[in-house]
Amino acid sequence: MIPIEYWLVFSSLLFAIGAYGVLTRRNAIVVLMCIEIMLNAANINLVAFSSYHSTLHGYPDASGQVFALFSIAIAAAEVAVGLAIILSVYRRYQTIDVDKINILRW
Amino acid sequence: MLEYAWLIPVFPFVAFLLIALLPKRTLFWEDGAGYAIGGAAGALGLSFIVIWEVLNGNTLTTDAPRTTWLIIGQYQITFGIWIDQLAALMLLVVSVVATLVVVYSAGYMHNEGPTRRRYYAEVMLFISVMYGLVIADNYLQMFIFWELVGLCSYLLIGFWYERPTAASAAKRAFIVTRVGDIMFMTGIIILFKYVGNLDFATLFAEGGTHAVPTDMMVLATAMIFGGAIGKSAQFPLHEWLPDAMEGPTTVSALIHAATMVKAGVYLVARSYPLLVQTPESLLFVAAIGGVTALLAATCALAANDIKRVLAYSTISQLGYMILGLGAGGYLVIHANSPDGYTAATFHLMNHAFFKALLFLCAGSVIHAVGTNDMRLMGGLRKHMRITSATMLIGALAIAGVPPLSGFWSKDEVLAAVWHAGEFNVMFLVLWAMGIATAFMTAFYMFRMWFMTFSGEPRSEYHAHESPKVMTVPLMILAGLAITSGFALFIGDGFKLFMEGSIEGLVPGAGAESLGDIAVGIFSDPLTYVSLTLAVAGILLAYRMYYVPGFDRSRFARGAPGAVQRALENRWYISKFYDDLAVKVVYGLSLVADAFDRHVIDGMVNGFAYIGGRSGNVIRKAQNGNVQRYTGIIVVGICLLLVFVLYVVPWMGW
Repeated sequence: MIPIEYWLVFSSLLFAIGAYGVLTRRNAIVVLMCIEIMLNAANINLVAFSSYHSTLHGYPDASGQVFALFSIAIAAAEVAVGLAIILSVYRRYQTIDVDKINILRW
Repeated sequence: MLEYAWLIPVFPFVAFLLIALLPKRTLFWEDGAGYAIGGAAGALGLSFIVIWEVLNGNTLTTDAPRTTWLIIGQYQITFGIWIDQLAALMLLVVSVVATLVVVYSAGYMHNEGPTRRRYYAEVMLFISVMYGLVIADNYLQMFIFWELVGLCSYLLIGFWYERPTAASAAKRAFIVTRVGDIMFMTGIIILFKYVGNLDFATLFAEGGTHAVPTDMMVLATAMIFGGAIGKSAQFPLHEWLPDAMEGPTTVSALIHAATMVKAGVYLVARSYPLLVQTPESLLFVAAIGGVTALLAATCALAANDIKRVLAYSTISQLGYMILGLGAGGYLVIHANSPDGYTAATFHLMNHAFFKALLFLCAGSVIHAVGTNDMRLMGGLRKHMRITSATMLIGALAIAGVPPLSGFWSKDEVLAAVWHAGEFNVMFLVLWAMGIATAFMTAFYMFRMWFMTFSGEPRSEYHAHESPKVMTVPLMILAGLAITSGFALFIGDGFKLFMEGSIEGLVPGAGAESLGDIAVGIFSDPLTYVSLTLAVAGILLAYRMYYVPGFDRSRFARGAPGAVQRALENRWYISKFYDDLAVKVVYGLSLVADAFDRHVIDGMVNGFAYIGGRSGNVIRKAQNGNVQRYTGIIVVGICLLLVFVLYVVPWMGW
């Protein structure tokens, strides 16, 4: 049995990497990928706590895993929408550099 | 019979409604004068029935029927009637003068065209609410009618509202009397706070006001008298009355000489059971009356407008009545004698008749000559025999020449003030002021008469005697001016009659026999002092204004000239009020305006400016760069985490 702390450190690192990528990368597709990494960090947390909860109480409880599955499904939908937006932006501006897509401002 | 007295105001009120609402072609004669005379005569008839009942010893005071008007929590406000000798006296004055003035108006207002309808409607409304004031049985009811007569006064002073002077005089009268009305209201509120009831029946009963602390009682009575200061044009709120002469002369005669201005005196007389509990207020009342009498008489000396002379004379005579009432209170307290009270109310009645007569005569003169300025008149006696004769009777009456009415009542007032001097030395000073006023009254009245009727015409005019509808009321009033003084000796005598309305205050005062009264008057040296001064005043006026060749211009130079200019400018009191309004009030308004513009508006504008400027700075944060937003979110969450995990436990929240 791997202790819960290991999972949490792992998911935190994954989340930090994702966040770092979102903050620094210029390519919108890479930004989208980094968001996926952050989502998966959250999914790992859900699964880890689900397992931890089951061992703590001595009976199986799958609700955390169900949430992880939901999250994965929604992430898939989100990627579809995100990629579609990026495609539209590229058609309009001939670029997917997030620094250049800044007309939604004051 | 007396319980039907509430019908008296209904007659003129119905006339008011008819004149105001009927179609024009059904108004018939003189645009509604017929209805007006009918309404006034109906009220006159009913008033006389009431007066007859009161003369026979019936009164309707504490046991009068009342209607509940308002219920506020535990308090009940009722409407009712209060018919005692004082109310009967006022009914007599109002009904006789009102009826005669309305008849006279048919002639005087003949040339006014369709606006006569408004005139008659407003006059009938006035007469109606004046009756209402007189028969009111509690202070609130009285106050309501008090305000309504003020409204009618405003409307009628401003009858010729196209003239700017009339419009501003109306406003002035309304605003100045309002100062007094607020004081009256303050007095009522004080009484209501402590007693919880404003019925005369409660307040005037033995011990009815013992819930009121002494100092508040003094304040309440002084404040109620403040209402009289405004309404009866007493110093320092007297300046509206001369300006009120901008209205038609009939209005001056009815409202500003005989009835409405008497409402203040009536209020003081009505409040006697309260006033005699507070000698301080009585002294204040008497002092205001004495100062007003003297001050107004001096102003009348130099006035050139015939109506203004009469207006100042009215103020002066009202001052006499107030002085008499103030002194009379001391006599009630110290001598158990109603003399001052009866003298002042007696003067009230006599003055109403002779002053209405004088005003209507002045109206007749103005009707003939077309100007108010006495410097442009002269020699009218040849053209206007009835007017000049009746006005001479009025002038003799007010000057105090026996046996005309003014002599009896003025003498009684002065005698009462003199006797009050036994109890407070101040009254001797006030008596001296009163006697000086008597001298000046005789002088300025005959100055007016000589300037108007004697000598040669000083301008081009085509004078003619007024029509019968105007001269008959003059003759009736002249008859009353001659005879009303004898009321002192008719029946049981006026004194005993009036004593009836304050008999609770002077228990067992009893009555002198009528012979004793007459002997008392003619054996008192004071009578001859005032009589001598009156004759001296008349002779001085005769010397200065009748005998040709008297050089009056010598009074226009040096010190007398300064006094004369001060008199012509009404002691600069009017100017003082104007300056007060123009400089002080306008200055304060400017300050308030600047405060509004710069401080209030400045704050509002300042906030808008701060919002705008800071928005300009902060909006730079919204630069459209998604990654910056994300960075801010991440940093923010980190800060929140630090706060929740470390700062909160460390602070011990």
